[in-house]
Amino acid sequence: MSVRTVLIVDDEPFIRKLIATTLEDVAGFEVRQAADGREALDIAAAWPPALVFLDVNMPRLDGIGACRALRALPCAESATIVMLTAAGPDAERDAREAGADLFLTKPFSPLDLLRLVDEIGAAG
Amino acid sequence: MGDDGDEVEALRAQLRARDAEAAAKESQLQRYAADLRETFKRERARTQELRDSYVATVRALANAVEARDAYTGQHAERVAAYGLRIAQAHGTRIADDRQVEFGFLLHDVGKVAIPDAILFKPDRLDAGERALMERHATIGWEILRGVEWLGEAKLVVRHHHERWDGNGYPDRLAGEEIPLPARIFAVADTLDALTTDRPYRLGCSFATARDVIAEVTGSQFDPAVVESFGAISDAELASIWRKHS
Repeated sequence: MSVRTVLIVDDEPFIRKLIATTLEDVAGFEVRQAADGREALDIAAAWPPALVFLDVNMPRLDGIGACRALRALPCAESATIVMLTAAGPDAERDAREAGADLFLTKPFSPLDLLRLVDEIGAAG
Repeated sequence: MGDDGDEVEALRAQLRARDAEAAAKESQLQRYAADLRETFKRERARTQELRDSYVATVRALANAVEARDAYTGQHAERVAAYGLRIAQAHGTRIADDRQVEFGFLLHDVGKVAIPDAILFKPDRLDAGERALMERHATIGWEILRGVEWLGEAKLVVRHHHERWDGNGYPDRLAGEEIPLPARIFAVADTLDALTTDRPYRLGCSFATARDVIAEVTGSQFDPAVVESFGAISDAELASIWRKHS
């Protein structure tokens, strides 16, 4: 288990809580939450995340912008970034171009989320 | 007027945004519900698979014991069926308990440790041989002791030769000290032994078996269990016999 620190970034508190609850006790993660891209960057600078869940549509700094900025941070460049996107090939392409490793389409399947985290943990 | 129109439009937009948010939450919850349902169905299927493989493993173990002993044939399966039928007639829920059926099937598993010379001796066993033969109950229990999920089944294996009057083995338990499934099994085992052909004698009829069992009720068998057994018709016993022969 290399993944220890997880940053959940979504402007919807409901979604952040849902993800945090879903991951609770699964692998002994430490979880932090951010409501937009700016807040995410502030947290990441002081607290390097191993895994980031990143919503696309957010105020101030959206997921695409935040993803690019995270990749430029030395402390977050090796993080696994999972983009939470709308369905559709464009959203997927944008996420990849911004530097996301993986993506989940919203509404996401909690089982997919857990499997994804399991695989990342197993690979690490 | 124009300002009012803008305000209304702004409120409408806010409402639309809120509706969209609520719809997004709902569809996300629907995903959780769908995943939960799938997980539940998968777990149920896996539990069934697991149960089936337990049954298959128990059968294999029971068959391994039987394979040595030519006469017994499908004795374990048959005696388990008699036992479950008597349990049902006795009005006890143990008939629904898989563990008890496993105990019935595995009752003689300890015989794997009994030498051929004793197990297949056509003459009467002497005292020493008989003592060794009787160890099959505790040996069976020891073999299964570490298998947590067999639960009550292990009690059937250990106590299936106890007698109501306390003169059985291995623990000389008496009356209701003997676990009920073991008391029920004892009747089923005797019934099958009496009605099955042996190399040196033919099996008797169910009617004769009932008489023999009645004679040792209160000494060997629990009278209440024998009474329940008495309520099962010959036709039903015969149909169990046909199914497992």
